[in-house]
Parts: sequence; C-alpha cells; structure tokens
Amino acid sequence: MESTPIDIIDDQLDSSGGSVAVADVVTDDSVPQGGVAKKKLGIGFWIAVAWLIFIVTLAVFAPILPIKEAEASFPTSRGGPGARAAPSADHWFGTDESARDVFARTIWGARVSLTVGFVAVFVGMLVGGSLGMISGYIRGWFDRVLSFIFLVLLSFPALVLAILITSLINRSLATIALTLGILSIAPIGRLSRAATLQFAEREFVTAAKAIGAKPGRILMKELLPNVMIPMAALGLLGMAVAIVAEGGLAFLNLSVEGGTISWGKLINEGRGTRLLRDAPWIAIMPIIVLFMTVLALNYAGDKVRDYFDVKELSV
Amino acid sequence: MRISRVHLRLLAVLLVLGLVAAACGSSGGDGGDASPSGGDDGTDEAATDDDGGDDAAPPPNTDLVETLPPDDEEDGGDGPVKGGVYRIGIEAEVNGVNPTTSALSAPGLWMGITVFDTLTAYLPDGSVVPHLAESVEPNEDFTIWTVTLREGISFHDGTPLNADAVVANFTSQHGAPLVGLAVRPFFPPEVADAIAKVDDLTVEFFPLDPDANFPATLAGQLGMVASPAWLEAAAADPALDQEPVGTGPFVFESRVLDSVTRFVRNDDWWGIGLIQDDIWLDAVEFYPLTDTEQRVEQLFANELDAMHTTVSSSVIELQDAAALDEITLVSDDRTEESFAMINTLHPPFDDIRARQALTFATPRDLYNELIAENVNRPADQMFTPDSPYYNPDVVQEADDPDRAAPLVEEYCAEKGTEINPVLEGPVCTDGKINIELQYSGPSLVQTRIAELLRDEGWSQFFNVTFDELLQDDHIQQVATGLYNVNTWRQFGAPDPSRDKVWLMCRTAEAIALNWPRVCDPGRDELILQADTGVSDEEFVQIQQDIVQNMNEAYTYIFFNHTIWAFGYGTNVNGQCGMQSVEGEPLRCVENGRQLINQIWLSE
Amino acid sequence: MVKMIATRLVLLVSLLLAVSMITFGSMNLLGDPLFNILGPAVDDPRSADKVAQARADFNLDKNLPHRYGLWLGDVLQGDFGNSYANGVSVNSIVGEKLPRSLLLAGMALVMAVVIAIPMGVFAAARANKAFDKATTFVTFGFVALPNFALGVILYYLFAVRWQIFPLKYIEDEGLFMKLKSMFLPALTLALPIAAVYQRLLRTDLITTLQEDFILMARSKGVSRRKVLFGHALRPSMFSFITVFGLNAGALIGGALVVETIFNIPGAGREIVESIIRDDFPVVLALVLIITGGFVLLNLLVDVLYTVLDPRVRA
Repeated sequence: MESTPIDIIDDQLDSSGGSVAVADVVTDDSVPQGGVAKKKLGIGFWIAVAWLIFIVTLAVFAPILPIKEAEASFPTSRGGPGARAAPSADHWFGTDESARDVFARTIWGARVSLTVGFVAVFVGMLVGGSLGMISGYIRGWFDRVLSFIFLVLLSFPALVLAILITSLINRSLATIALTLGILSIAPIGRLSRAATLQFAEREFVTAAKAIGAKPGRILMKELLPNVMIPMAALGLLGMAVAIVAEGGLAFLNLSVEGGTISWGKLINEGRGTRLLRDAPWIAIMPIIVLFMTVLALNYAGDKVRDYFDVKELSV
Repeated sequence: MRISRVHLRLLAVLLVLGLVAAACGSSGGDGGDASPSGGDDGTDEAATDDDGGDDAAPPPNTDLVETLPPDDEEDGGDGPVKGGVYRIGIEAEVNGVNPTTSALSAPGLWMGITVFDTLTAYLPDGSVVPHLAESVEPNEDFTIWTVTLREGISFHDGTPLNADAVVANFTSQHGAPLVGLAVRPFFPPEVADAIAKVDDLTVEFFPLDPDANFPATLAGQLGMVASPAWLEAAAADPALDQEPVGTGPFVFESRVLDSVTRFVRNDDWWGIGLIQDDIWLDAVEFYPLTDTEQRVEQLFANELDAMHTTVSSSVIELQDAAALDEITLVSDDRTEESFAMINTLHPPFDDIRARQALTFATPRDLYNELIAENVNRPADQMFTPDSPYYNPDVVQEADDPDRAAPLVEEYCAEKGTEINPVLEGPVCTDGKINIELQYSGPSLVQTRIAELLRDEGWSQFFNVTFDELLQDDHIQQVATGLYNVNTWRQFGAPDPSRDKVWLMCRTAEAIALNWPRVCDPGRDELILQADTGVSDEEFVQIQQDIVQNMNEAYTYIFFNHTIWAFGYGTNVNGQCGMQSVEGEPLRCVENGRQLINQIWLSE
Repeated sequence: MVKMIATRLVLLVSLLLAVSMITFGSMNLLGDPLFNILGPAVDDPRSADKVAQARADFNLDKNLPHRYGLWLGDVLQGDFGNSYANGVSVNSIVGEKLPRSLLLAGMALVMAVVIAIPMGVFAAARANKAFDKATTFVTFGFVALPNFALGVILYYLFAVRWQIFPLKYIEDEGLFMKLKSMFLPALTLALPIAAVYQRLLRTDLITTLQEDFILMARSKGVSRRKVLFGHALRPSMFSFITVFGLNAGALIGGALVVETIFNIPGAGREIVESIIRDDFPVVLALVLIITGGFVLLNLLVDVLYTVLDPRVRA
C-alpha cells in the first residue's frame, strides 16, 4: 500500500464522512442476491415524493391557505381551548403552552426548516461540488491543499463548528442556512471529488482530451452531467442532514433568533418533563412531521441513487 | 417550562442586586424608631414546626400564604434528630460565593447564608434584630451607626471575627465593581470616610445621608462577613471565590461546578447554645438544576429534600402535591415584581406619550393567563394589596389599545424623524414606533414572553425587534442604557425605603442601578425623607407617594407579583423554625433563600 | 507500516494545529474576553486598575499570534489555562466533565455492538426473510430519527411515562445508579449507530457466508449457529471496524444534544455553555481534545485494520 500523504488524506476523508456516509452504508442493498439490478423506483419512492410535495406545498402556501397564525393565542378568556389543550377538530395537533395552535406552528415552522435544508444543500453543492470536481480533475497541489482543508473541517465536531460560526456572526436565518451550507461543503466536496476521479479515467474523458478539449470544457460538458446524477441523490440526503442539523441547533436554543420557529424549536419547546406528561403532543407532533420528512428524503435519495446505479461510486 | 441556565444566572445577578437593596431595606431593628411596624408586612408563611428540643418553640407565624400541615412526627413530642444530608435543588449554578465581590443570585445567597452569618437578621414583620452582631446602634440623627460584635467568634479558618474583619469586608464591597453599585452611592467615596474601627469589636458606619433604616443593610449580602484572610487570598486568586470561609453554621467542604457544592456541620458555630442546642444536619448539598421541572420531579422522587422556584407551572405542581400531603410548601409573593421596563434615555421612550402607548398596548391580562397561569397575583405597583404601603389609587394601566392609537399617531407626526439609537434607525415607520425588546437568553420562557407581548399587543402600534442577549451582555446593555424596553424582575425590599437603589438620581449615572434613568428631584426628596426617622404614618404616606410617582412616570409595566415557592420532602422539619438570639422567630423566607441551621430530618 | 504511522502522526499534529488556530482565532474574534472576566465593570472608569491587571494576567495586552504562541506553549506543557468565567483551571474542568462523556460514549458503543451483532447475524442468516425485512425497515427508521427527537421520545416513554429510569443523571450513589441514569442517554446515542452496524454486518456476513470455507464447514456438519458466530462473524468485521472511527464524530455531535436532554454535566454541554459564555480557554481545550481523540481513533482504526486484514498488509 503506497502511502503518499494525499492518499492518507483520502483514506481519512473516507472514514469520516459524517451522516451522508451513514446513509450510504445503511441503505446499501448491494447484497448479492443473484445479481438482479433493481431498476424501478417502486411505490415507496412515490409515497415519499408525495409526502415531500405535500409538506413543501403546505409550507410555501401557508400564508394563503386557511392555516391559523403561528403566533396567535387561543386562551380561554377569548373562548379558545386554552393552553396545553389536547388535539381536537379545531386544533388538529392541540395547543401549546401559550395556547397557540401546534398544527399551525408545525406548518409555519416547516418554512424555516425546509429553507435551511434547501439553502444549505445549494451552497454545499455549488461550492463543495465545484471545488471537488476541480480538485478531482486537476489534482496536484490544489487537490492536496483542498483535501487538507476538507479534512480539517471534517475533524471538527460539526455541531460545535456550527455553534462557533453562528456565535461569531449572528443567528439570522441567512447565517444559519449558510453555516450549514459551509459545513456541507467538505462532505459534498469529498464525494464530488471521488466521483470526478472515477469519471476522469473513463474513455469519453480521455477521448475528449485526445481531441484537445480544454479542461474547462471537459469539466462542464463531460464530467458535470455525469457527476450531477450522484450529486442529485446526495442532495436529497444532504437536505435531510441539514434539516436535522438545524433542528439540533434549535434544540440547543441556538438556531434562528427573534422568535422564529422551526421544527427543532417546536420540539425543544415541548420537551419539558411536565409538558411531556401533560401535553405530549406539543413535542411529539412536530417530531412525527420531522421524522416523516427526513425519512422521505432519505428514502427518495436512496432510490434515486439505486436507480442510477450510483452506489459503486462511493467504493 | 424550562429556563436556561444562562437566563437564570441573569436573574440571579439581578436578584442579587435586588437583594442587596432588599438587604438594605427594612426598619432599624435596634435603634430605628422609624420602622413602620406593619404586622402584615413581610411575614412569610410558616410551618407549624418547632425547633431545637429545649428551646422554647417559637410562636408560629399566623400570616400564611401557604400553610403547612402540622408535622405529625412532632405531635408525639419527638425532638429534632441529629444526622442526615439536606439536598437542595437550586435554580442555577453560581459563579463564585464571595459576598464582597460576587453579585450573588438567589442560589448564591442561599449558599451564602449557609456558610456565612449576617450581622443582623429579619423578623417576620421586616424589622431586623442583631444576629452575628451583638448590637447595632445609631446616633441621634442616624448619620453614624455603631456595630458591636460578639466576643470569641472565629471564622472556619481560625481567623478571629473582629472589627478589622468587618472593615476588610466593607472595603472589598465598596471597591467591588458590581456589588459596589449598591454601596458607593450611599457612602463617602473614600472608604476611610465611610467606616471606622473604634475598638477591637466595634465599628462605625457613616452613611452619606441620615439613614434610620441602615441595620437592614446588614441582614443581606452586605451583612455577610467573610474571613479577611480568605478575602485577601481570593483577591489574589479568584479561583478561591469558589471556596468560601465564613463563621456560619456550615463549613465549606467541596464544590464541583455544575454538579454539587457541599457544606458540613460546624460544631463550633457560635449560635450553638445561644440560639439552639445543636446543628442537626450532618451536611448540606446544593445541586444546581436549571430545569425547573427536574427540580420538582426530583423532589417528588425524594432525590432532593428541598428546592425553590418562581416558575408558575412548577408552583402549581407544588401546590397540588402539597394539597395531597406529598410534600410541604412554603411560598411568598411579597418579594419581587415581574414587569417590563422602559428606558427614558433615548427616543422614542424619552417621550412620555410613547411610554404611555406601550403601556396601554400591553396584553397584561393575557400575560397573567398564559405566562403566569393565573397563579400569581396581578401587580399594580411594587406592593401587594396586603402591604401597609399599598396605594389603592395606583392602578397599572394596560389592555387598552384604543388609548394607544391616538398617542402613537400624535408622536409619530411630531417626532417621527428622530433616531432611535438602539436600533440606529428612525423612531417611526409606517405610522408605527420602532422599538427593540431586549431579553436574556437563550431561554424558552423569555422567548414566550417576548412573543406574547409582541404578537398579542405591542405589534399593533410598534414594530418590535427582538434582541435576545446572554445575561452578561444583557446586564451590560441595560446598565449602560442601551435598550428601549426589556423584561425584568426586581424590587421587594421588606422595607421599601431600601428600593431607593433603583429609583434615585444618583443611581442614574453611566453605570448604575436606576435602569430607566428617571431622575426626579421630587422623588429623591421623598426617598431621603423616608430615612430620616419619620413616624409610621408618615413613612407609609411617603411610600404611597413614591408608588404614585413611579406610576405617573410610565417606566414600569407591572405584570404580577413573583412567587418564591419552596418545596420540601415530608421528612424535613423546622423550615420556618429559625430564631433570633432572643428567641424570636426570624423571617422564614427571603427572595429565594432561607436559613438552614434549624432544619432537621426525621426518619 | 511504521512509515504509514509516522506519516499519519505528522498529519495528526498538523491537523490539530490547524484546528487549534481556527478555534483560537474565532474565539478571539467573538467578543471582548475582558467582559467575560470582569463583567459590566469593564466600562466603569473606576475599575481601570482591575481591567489593566486582568489584561496582563490573561495576556490580553499581547497581539493574537503572540497570545496563540503563549497558549500553545502552556498546552504543550499540559496546562490549558484558567476559565474566564470563574478562574477554575481548565484542566480540572476537563478532568471532571470529560470522563462523563467518555462513559456515555463508551456505553453507547458497547450497547450498539451488543444490539447490532445478534441483529445483524440473524438478519444475514435469513436474508430477505421476514426478520431481515423487518430489521431493514426499523434500522432505516432509526437513521431518519434525529438524536434529539429520539432522546425526547425515550425520555418521554421511559422516564416520564413509565418511570423506569430516573429523570436526572445521578453520579454519587454508586456505580449502579450512575449506569442506570446513563442508560437512556446512551441508548439514544446507541440506537442509530446500532442501525448502521447492523446493516454493515449483515451485508458483510452475507458475502462471507457464500465463501468456500463456510460452505466447507457446513458440509463438514458444523452447526449453523457455530458457523455463524464461530467462523463467519470474525472475517466480516472489517467494515465494522472502519465505521468505528466514523461514529466517534457522530457521537460527539450527539453528546451535545443528549447531555442537554438528560442534564448530564458532560463535555458536550460544557462546550455549548462555554461558547455561549465566550469562555474560550475551556472551548479550546475541549475542541482540541475531542478533535485529537477523534483523529487518533481513526489512526488506531487504520492500524488495526492493517493488522487484521492480510490483504491490506500485503
């Protein structure tokens, strides 16, 4: 086994990929089962997609849908059910400690959680994806430096790094989303680099080189379309990771400030001993919605990957 | 409901400052004839427990908010049992337990009175009697107070308690950045002019103004006397602030930050034989548990023997459990007030119309229903209706948005182009006033309060920006006047004359305790007059006038009277059995703390 | 292999230097540390002496690289300095908090292995049968359930509702109580990891079970159970070992959240609180120790891997 530093870095990166890699591993159905490649997405995939469309629609159109205000209270003094009321026809998910509608808050909270997920993955894809591709294609010192930076980033406990960055700047929605985007640069960049490395050896790239195509053109026209597919699958998984990470921050009271709600914050609001005993729905309902969404993203991401037979890339 | 540790530490510091003031408050137990002896004031609810075997049982206090069930064990005449570890759940960890330099919070003060003794102590009516001091006597016009110490008392490290020790403590307090804020405005700038050693056991204090109520100052943090040797060492090495050395009934043993602080019985305590026969507990352990519910649950699970709280939902839980005799409960709401506080230093709130509009737009009823869950009494002023100083004519206006509308319109039309320096922007936008609501966090409860104030009231006429700050930054900005409005908790000195710390012109400086920065010479005159030894009737009248004055300034929007509740396991006895040297019952509970030397555990 | 370890160590050291520089730099930008040391008195002209004194005591009168150098010098001698918040030595804070987190992480790993091995073996033994499908379903779910959500659910069910486990962390009432109060937090961390382990083990085992020496053993009449646990398990552990390092990182992130839910005064919670307090000597020490441990663990895993797998050694 050769041991140039760069390979060691590769190794190191491969064994510290964080949650994305976890998703890789768990859903790896590449078990020899007679070698039949599964080339259909299946009903589960469509259920997952339907759920995602449903939740995104609700979140996007919350202002024009007949959904209650997230901050409106329904106290008994105004004829409402009061604080900590159980789920009912009027309040599907019950009410919270300030007599606010938990269903409405879950939907409004989805706006923040989903935005953070989208933005983080977008930033990670844009920066990490392109850096990884360039790095994987041109190799050399650029690759080494970048790989070391990725390694440093991956050596921090992610949540600690997120807290550090946000306390350094502020806790606005943009900062939180960008921070999680920055955190996703290293893992996404690592995978995009790996994918590029693999495709860079293929005939069509060699052929393009042979006819004298410029590196920029090869990257854009030959490599990008091929790298895009595994990246798309990774994007779905990455969104799940970002949503969970925002939840973790919110859970520590360290996500978006100024009374902005997200799923993590809702769960945190409801997790007190007394609330869990008297009004478990305040925490449990957002947990269910969060769980379904992450599950759907993971599942859809896996299916996309399997469908395009991407898994061999991560080997 | 959960309060983050950070938030509690903030409250803590405030409380301390409050307690410093509260400590300053009360009628002269010794010399002062100025004390209004309102029998109703300040009596904490008490258990019908009694105390040390041979000591005469003190008469139970009758003015109870919560009455403990009679202790069955004691009906049989069983005396106190020696032994046991008293495990107390406190609402936050304390950064240091140095009474001269640490701004002690309620938990800090609770630890403090375990290891330190105060020179004087409160009686249930809010007057004070000598405690560690033998006597506290004024001159004729209350400008010199002579404190005489008891002979033969030593600190836990063997240092003798003498005049030099008291001077050393005062000197440290006077110079301390934070604690000194409550000292320096009321004493000469040079320590040498403020205190003097007369002989080995006698010290004279020289307040700036006649102060008939000075002895109460010595019943709180400023009256705790620490070993001068330790103070000196701690000044050199701040880590020693974690290992307090006093004269108190318990000796510091060990401290693991955020986990447990342990004190063990002081068999040489000066009060043994003088106040009670013995100290019954082997040890006292303080467990900081910022999650209020956890403290309650652990009390129920017998993992704690005692805990304190101000959070409404846990007060309800304690009340329910006490009704079933599962625990015992002592609670009192005549201490602090919860309110929103308005800074008059900057636009827009330098204009009374903006302050009035905010007051009228405040959803106070909803606050009391949803945040306080209707367990707290709504507050119109800093006195409860059963206080002798209560002014029935003073009503806290709120929930009246119709009156706010024309004020905001008028204000914005007239001054809309001024700049709000806190937001660094114009005071009005689109016919609404722009303000920043500052609160300490990260904290769920504080966030809920901010959301409620904004979404259910203020947002009609105000564009409210939240500014959630860490406690230290929050205090810093409030202390330097960099806020528009915040949520706060203070007041509640047993003798209201001591709340002067918050209210006078001299404490409205750059960094001082008059946070809203209202300087009203008329108010100052009233406050100073109250300390000149006036009659009870005059004193009451002055306090009522001050309350009126505060109300008309529109700087505090009172929500309710904070409840300090203490829950105990059923094996705890003597909660309110503390006595003075003369055998009188002492005040059972002060803001979040109580004496422990008389407690014993049955079984 | 010596060369490999040496290269690794060089990498490790440069990594730790980079991490410490980033952390040190960002913490210093975070705000005026003096304020954390002295409180509001910083702005009070009357305490100018104290401010100057504290500035000198904490080396704040030096420039950033100088301070970093001084700090690094102390660290190399094993001294992480004193906390800004209360003057306590960082070494004692770390010494007190870290063992709790290590116990938590250790318990979680043990639990994960204990859960994963039988589940993985049984799933592999009957691949694509009902048990296998059910575990696939469940493990997929556990991966989608964030630590904080799982923690809240476990706390709700086992501590609040059924009251099987205590509501708080209990340290000083004997080892049993300590472990018992650590059980739920450790389980919260362990379940998602167990899910990963189980999948890995299942996949590797299925591959191993098709190899010749297994078929040989079976044909010699060795019992099914003995083949599974005796012959097939050990060669199927490689990927398992690889993810061990990977999970250390996930454990640390999880510990922040889990220690918060279950009120364990461990290193994770200390980091969060210290960052909030701008108490950066504590943050630096913990980040550095955790990162160092994480990287070192990865190195050990690699070495172990090389030792165990003849193919890699060759």
